[in-house]
Amino acid sequence: MTNLTNGAEAAAERVAEAAAACGITLIASLPDGWITPLIARFASDARFRHVAVNREESAIGLCSGAFLSGVGSFALMGASGFLTCIYAITKINYTYQIPLLIGITLRGRPGDGAKFHQSNGLYLEPIIATLGIPFVPIERGADIARIATAYRHSRVMSRPVVVGFTREVLRGEA
Amino acid sequence: MNFEACFRLLADQLKNEVIVTSAGNCSELWWEITGESERVFYLDASMSLASLFAAGIALGAPERTVVAFSGDGAFCMNPGMLLVERQLALPNLKHFMIANGCYGSTNDLAHPFGDFVDYAGMAKAAGIERVYEFSTQEGLAQGLDDMVQNLGHAFAVLHVEPLGRHLQSPPLDGPEVKFRFGRYLERTGGRPVFDAPVHRQQS
Repeated sequence: MTNLTNGAEAAAERVAEAAAACGITLIASLPDGWITPLIARFASDARFRHVAVNREESAIGLCSGAFLSGVGSFALMGASGFLTCIYAITKINYTYQIPLLIGITLRGRPGDGAKFHQSNGLYLEPIIATLGIPFVPIERGADIARIATAYRHSRVMSRPVVVGFTREVLRGEA
Repeated sequence: MNFEACFRLLADQLKNEVIVTSAGNCSELWWEITGESERVFYLDASMSLASLFAAGIALGAPERTVVAFSGDGAFCMNPGMLLVERQLALPNLKHFMIANGCYGSTNDLAHPFGDFVDYAGMAKAAGIERVYEFSTQEGLAQGLDDMVQNLGHAFAVLHVEPLGRHLQSPPLDGPEVKFRFGRYLERTGGRPVFDAPVHRQQS
């Protein structure tokens, strides 16, 4: 348990450093069990203003508005929560072409023992592809550096980009 | 109070603030009255996110007063917005909720929620300290300055009658709204938005 905690904290530290290096200062989140150490890391880091939102769509609204006052932001949520955001993303970020970095958990992949997340394994990535949202999987520790690429790409294309974290990365095991 | 008269009063008084309007009547009426296209972000069709979108703007622009308009239909979809607003407690965010008892963007179809829900009471219960409720133009004229000019997050319920007519949507495409609004903020002292350093890191 201690090793797991240390690994998750180390992974959270690396993600936080990557976000800070992008100039991100606002984190809006709703938890998934896999990202609670990451959320706790952001919440305790003075470089970020962490906002616990009431629902994932609120993170989309808040972060999209923040873009217009020059604040770099990261909307962090679970896979299921992300799927509730389709309307907000298509109406706000697509209609107005507002960039946004969204971080999600890749629930439902082989190895995820939660039966109630298997629908995410089946539909999550195909839905992201159908929406035309660029998707950057973070499957190994070295991929964490790709957060910067994803953030920059969202700005360049003026639309959202999703980074998806595997459990192994979030535990510091990959 | 009469919806149009209420908005004419607001448009007459709110000259220096940044405005975010929600879908339907709010955006249409503000556009009809003012024709403004720079300091106003017409957030058509967000289904309850106008005040949090405005909160994001307010977060990065503490020197500006940001006014958000939302409807009671949207409010009922996501009353938890109040919890996030309370948590943020942004002193420069002023949220007006239009209680017209109907979905103004869909032919004024009535909804029943205002008959038994105390919206202002909900805001108070959410911990918002500065809650206002206006049912007349006179009351609004008297209380508006206190709400908007004094520092502190504030939430107001505007009790109005249904508009009862169709209006034109602002004839602006989304990217035009974004660029006009963002350039306005940049030009008037805001942080860089479109020319933020992230664009210059790799060319």
